[in-house]
Amino acid sequence: MGLKKLFLRMATIGLGIGLMTSAALAANLRVLAWDGYADPDWVKDFTAATGIGVDVVFIGSDDEIWAKIKGSEGQDFDVFAVNTAQLQRYIKADLVSPIDITKLPNQKEVLPRFRDVSQVSGDTKDGKVYGIPFCFDSIGLIYDTDKVKPAPTSMSVLWDPAYKGKVLAYDNGEHNFSFTALTLGYKDPFNLNEEQMAAVKAKLVELKRNVLSFYTTADEAQQIYQNNDVALIWANYGQQQVKALQKIGAHVAYVNPSEGALAWLDNWVISKGVRDNAAAEKWIDFMLTKKVSGELSERTGFGNTVVESSSAGGNDKLVWLNNVEDPLKRSDLWNEIKATP
Amino acid sequence: MSEAGSMQPAERRLSLLVTVLAFALPVLFVLVPLAIFLGYSFFSVDQGTIVYGLSLGNYVRFFTDPIFLPVFWNTIVLCVSVAIICILLAYPAAYFLTTLKGRWRYALLMLLLVPLLMSYVIKIYAIRSILGLNGFLNKALVAVGILQQPSTLFVFNMNAILLTLTLLLIPFAILPIFLSLERIPQVLLRASDDLGASGLQTFLRITLPLSLPGVASAASFVFVLAIGDFLTPQMVGGISGFTFGRILYSQFGTAYNWPFGAALSVALAVVVIAAILVGERFGRNRGTSI
Repeated sequence: MGLKKLFLRMATIGLGIGLMTSAALAANLRVLAWDGYADPDWVKDFTAATGIGVDVVFIGSDDEIWAKIKGSEGQDFDVFAVNTAQLQRYIKADLVSPIDITKLPNQKEVLPRFRDVSQVSGDTKDGKVYGIPFCFDSIGLIYDTDKVKPAPTSMSVLWDPAYKGKVLAYDNGEHNFSFTALTLGYKDPFNLNEEQMAAVKAKLVELKRNVLSFYTTADEAQQIYQNNDVALIWANYGQQQVKALQKIGAHVAYVNPSEGALAWLDNWVISKGVRDNAAAEKWIDFMLTKKVSGELSERTGFGNTVVESSSAGGNDKLVWLNNVEDPLKRSDLWNEIKATP
Repeated sequence: MSEAGSMQPAERRLSLLVTVLAFALPVLFVLVPLAIFLGYSFFSVDQGTIVYGLSLGNYVRFFTDPIFLPVFWNTIVLCVSVAIICILLAYPAAYFLTTLKGRWRYALLMLLLVPLLMSYVIKIYAIRSILGLNGFLNKALVAVGILQQPSTLFVFNMNAILLTLTLLLIPFAILPIFLSLERIPQVLLRASDDLGASGLQTFLRITLPLSLPGVASAASFVFVLAIGDFLTPQMVGGISGFTFGRILYSQFGTAYNWPFGAALSVALAVVVIAAILVGERFGRNRGTSI
């Protein structure tokens, strides 16, 4: 029976392939990351250099990362990317493992501000390092170089009556309270006391009167810029926003204010359920090579931790975003500010 | 009845199933969700998690906090204005349609309804680029010589919301008015003419009263759609055009205070239901008297 033999052989081959792939999968490094953090050519290079296969899953929001990691108690992934504001939550829930910096030779070569991870707020707890900075962007100020002279150095320019009705601000209470607190010179913009809160609120009501509109998406800001007389934009979307505006021929420049710019910072972390710690360390170290980090900035426009990029100059003061004392209260106050005539 | 009696058991089971489905679907997809959000309005939020204990706190806050009632009232005034302007613009348009003969009438009606096929967001974007300081409207007014320089009258304020909502919702006003006008028997108009009434008298004493049900339902349609909208105010309202819909939206989005958002929606729902009832009552009374 030739046919039966053929079937048998096919089944054997099929089973063989199945076993091989599942064996390969079992050994693969499982990475959870934002789009742009694990491009196929890097993954290919990594596998070629280390012999470790990689399975990448992309996520679209902070909530999704939490759901995926918390949902499996960290067992489904070996290494993932998360920002400093979120990381403490994972540490508290015991979902991440401490990282041995000595296993990451490339970490010694990173830009000065990232070299000592203990100085990066949010990345450590009880002297242990949990996150390795990888990608960041500042929330600075975009200004029209034809309309704003001299070039601004502080966010306080947003309150300048000379630009009344020419300012675009962002529709988000949390961030607005934080940056206004920095402008007022408060040390910790994420933990405001009652008195500071009231001062910031009064200051934001003043800001509102100088503002043309509050935008939510980068796209929206761009459209408003095109159809109106806009001089200053509080750039929630940082470099991406600047590049998009320059692409349509706008004469704009970007500055991180001297009082400090809010900035988000994404880190690589190792999950509690890591199967092969050495492989995870190799992945993080590979991400910190000049080649990968440089390409990251070229491709996404975000800043990286290894090569200088346009997100921030070496002397710019960056304030890593952190959890705020009471998001609900900030949001309520923000509504009150918007309802104030 | 005799037919029902002779039904096969299988057939009877089928009709029973259809009946159950007919009642179950609205209950499951309309009443139950409504009941759930009514229930939520009595909960509260503590440290970002919802506390499932009953309290009237959300309603107390709505009535006592100085920010909500004024915004609520302003929003109602805004939406009533939108409804009135829509009616004033839609009535002549609908009347004109009924004077057309045959094919033209429906072709034009279709043209007026075409904007409904477009995405809402795209329409708002388009209107926003018309309204801007360097937008089409300002450029046209300056070019014609009506304005010396671009005006900020329609840029990111209540006027912009009013204008945008009116533009977006006008098809919803034209249709009911057109239908009620079309339903007026031509014999009545001819009789009025025979008895020596002038065109204006016929319009004021026959056409207008008989078309009021359509006007009432058009007004309630437009009002309800306008008051439920948060996107238009968000996108063209700027800093002074703060409406109730935007507050509501923020409770579900950034504030993560669903219970309070639910309580605010209940307040909104009361107004909406009242508007629908008023519209329907007018519509029915006049309608049955024909």
